[in-house]
Amino acid sequence: MNRWRRSVGEIQARRRQVSECEQAQSALSKVTACYQQMATCLGSNTDGSSLREELEETRALAHRICTGMHRRLLALLAETEQVQEDREQVERMWVLFLCALENFQQDLRKVSILQETFPLGQRKDRRALVNTGATGGGSEVAGRAATVQTPWVTTEGEKKPDLKSHVLEIDGLLQEMLQRVNVPLWSVEPTQNAWGEGCGDAQDEDDTLEEIMEVEVVSQDNRASGCCNHSNCKLGCIFCLLN
Amino acid sequence: MTIKFIRDHGQHYRPRMACLAKVEAMVLEMQDSKSGVKSSEQKLNITSIPHVVTGQDILAWIANHMKVDAQEAQTIGTMLVAYGFIYPLQDHKKLILKPDVSLYRFQTPYFWPVQKWKADNTDYAIYLAKRNIRKKGTLDVYEQEYYKNLHKWLNHKWDFIVMQAKEQYRAGKERNKADRVVFDCQERAYWIVHRPPPRTHSAMDYGVDRLIDPNAEEVKGEGAHGVRLICLLRVFFRILKHMTTYKDHDPFLAPCLPSNPWQTDDSSYWDLNMRNVEIPTKMRVERWSFSFFELLNDPRGRTDFKVFLKKEFSGENLAFWEAAEEMKWGTASSISEKAQTIFKTFLAPGAPRWINIDGRTMGLTVKGLEHPHRYVLDAAQTHIFMLMKKDTFYRYLKSPVYKDIQKKALSPAPPSQLEQNAQNRKPGINPIIIWQQEEEERAKAAAAAGPIDIKKLMASKLDRK
Repeated sequence: MNRWRRSVGEIQARRRQVSECEQAQSALSKVTACYQQMATCLGSNTDGSSLREELEETRALAHRICTGMHRRLLALLAETEQVQEDREQVERMWVLFLCALENFQQDLRKVSILQETFPLGQRKDRRALVNTGATGGGSEVAGRAATVQTPWVTTEGEKKPDLKSHVLEIDGLLQEMLQRVNVPLWSVEPTQNAWGEGCGDAQDEDDTLEEIMEVEVVSQDNRASGCCNHSNCKLGCIFCLLN
Repeated sequence: MTIKFIRDHGQHYRPRMACLAKVEAMVLEMQDSKSGVKSSEQKLNITSIPHVVTGQDILAWIANHMKVDAQEAQTIGTMLVAYGFIYPLQDHKKLILKPDVSLYRFQTPYFWPVQKWKADNTDYAIYLAKRNIRKKGTLDVYEQEYYKNLHKWLNHKWDFIVMQAKEQYRAGKERNKADRVVFDCQERAYWIVHRPPPRTHSAMDYGVDRLIDPNAEEVKGEGAHGVRLICLLRVFFRILKHMTTYKDHDPFLAPCLPSNPWQTDDSSYWDLNMRNVEIPTKMRVERWSFSFFELLNDPRGRTDFKVFLKKEFSGENLAFWEAAEEMKWGTASSISEKAQTIFKTFLAPGAPRWINIDGRTMGLTVKGLEHPHRYVLDAAQTHIFMLMKKDTFYRYLKSPVYKDIQKKALSPAPPSQLEQNAQNRKPGINPIIIWQQEEEERAKAAAAAGPIDIKKLMASKLDRK
């Protein structure tokens, strides 16, 4: 159809789809970030069946977003006649989606291996968990992930695959995406500049890790017995002073 | 997409995996509340974090559990830290186990080192961006370098990296303060193992994509710059010295005496510098004094040195050296024969020209002579060379033999006639011109020899009229 004759309705529909995809992209980012944060608790002393359930739920959510986005992006890219700026944006989304999928797949692989290495079936397994110093179970993060919503109505009732087949499914998805759409990766220009992310949210309240850890030494100077809870700790205090 | 791995049929991974599995098992055993390592709390200003262990506790546990001595336990402990299973809380860039009360924590299994996949550049970029978001300007110089490079290489992914970094940062903020500190420590430790700071070595470095060249010398700390400067200066001064000594002997920089045979057609230069000429030139004699190597290389110099040694009754060193050279450069069939003669003449106890080398070299050489090959006398030859160089050579330079030859040496002056000859030389005729002339003559001869054309002859005669 001649592009000049394209109806307003069509253009609007397309724009809505594109913005849906963008929202889905940020949602996917959020979900995968939360997934990673929870995955770092696996195998540690805060590991538990609740953590694993939350991981599963987050993974299911990510799966829904991925499949929906995959379908919509394909549809958007498959249209041959397009306005130029739209094409760039959609291609950028495509590349970012590919990256996000790859990243997520890596996390899934790690989680799958960790879950096998640290099974929680029996009581003796709990003793084999690593004491990392964490106390929280990551449930707050799971709560954050749960607040994410897919921007489209989830009428697609697809079954959530289990972990291993999810990994393989993403493999297949990536292959298919690379073959079906010919978008060269290097043609995408980023919208963010280098070092640009630094000027933004909430820097003021956060100290660097070094600053937080430094304070530890100063406070230990004041408390003679506080630094390592050991009975004969005078040597330790001198060491802290020297540090 | 990102090229994941090369088809190396698992060869890439095999060497490390068994080691990592054993270390993992050991780390898990350390966790046991009864028989594991004793842990305590780390008190920070804002909060306190459990499960912190001291270096000496870890060492004691390792020594006890594996029944090894303290030195071995120290090595094993450092290995644990270097791989990233345990990370130090103080002085986090140095991955060693200190046998004192310095504090360590166990790394969460998510960040354990895995040989199967490499620490991804994308993940590192996300980590650096996260640190930047948290507080701008806290990256180290080497991290800033990495950041710049990653921004260039992963430019097409940069939006994704920034977005993911922001989301991970926000997700991290959901956790309580102590857990956030723990997670940040863990992540930082992970990246110190996999992207080591400059002048340190990562334990996970392996294979073709090594980050650090193992042959480069590792100098610790700021002394590295000073050492490099000193090496450069040393090299510079050596070059300078070489240039000043050889300046006058260089055929390009100094005119050769008496005259350059190529320019003046006078071959007296070659006659004077023949290999075994009676009286050498002054330049040649001067050159012998530069180094022992020069003296030995020049055949005239060598004969002179032999004369000196005969007076000193210590000619066997040079004889041995020459014999060894002969063997090195001689035919392969004569090697065993030469080895026999050399042994009988120089090395056997009570030999007529017994050389004085130290017992170890003698032992090695004699053993090697049982199955002789071309270079079997190399060690002994080097020893003798150094002996001669350090001792005999300097005595030679001060000896009357050398002084005598210095006096006798010729210093030919360039005769002026030859100079004029050199200047008057005309360049030869260009061969193309000679060839053209020959062609013309050939054409004339052919025309003259061919049958006479009457008409043309008549025409030319008419013209003349």
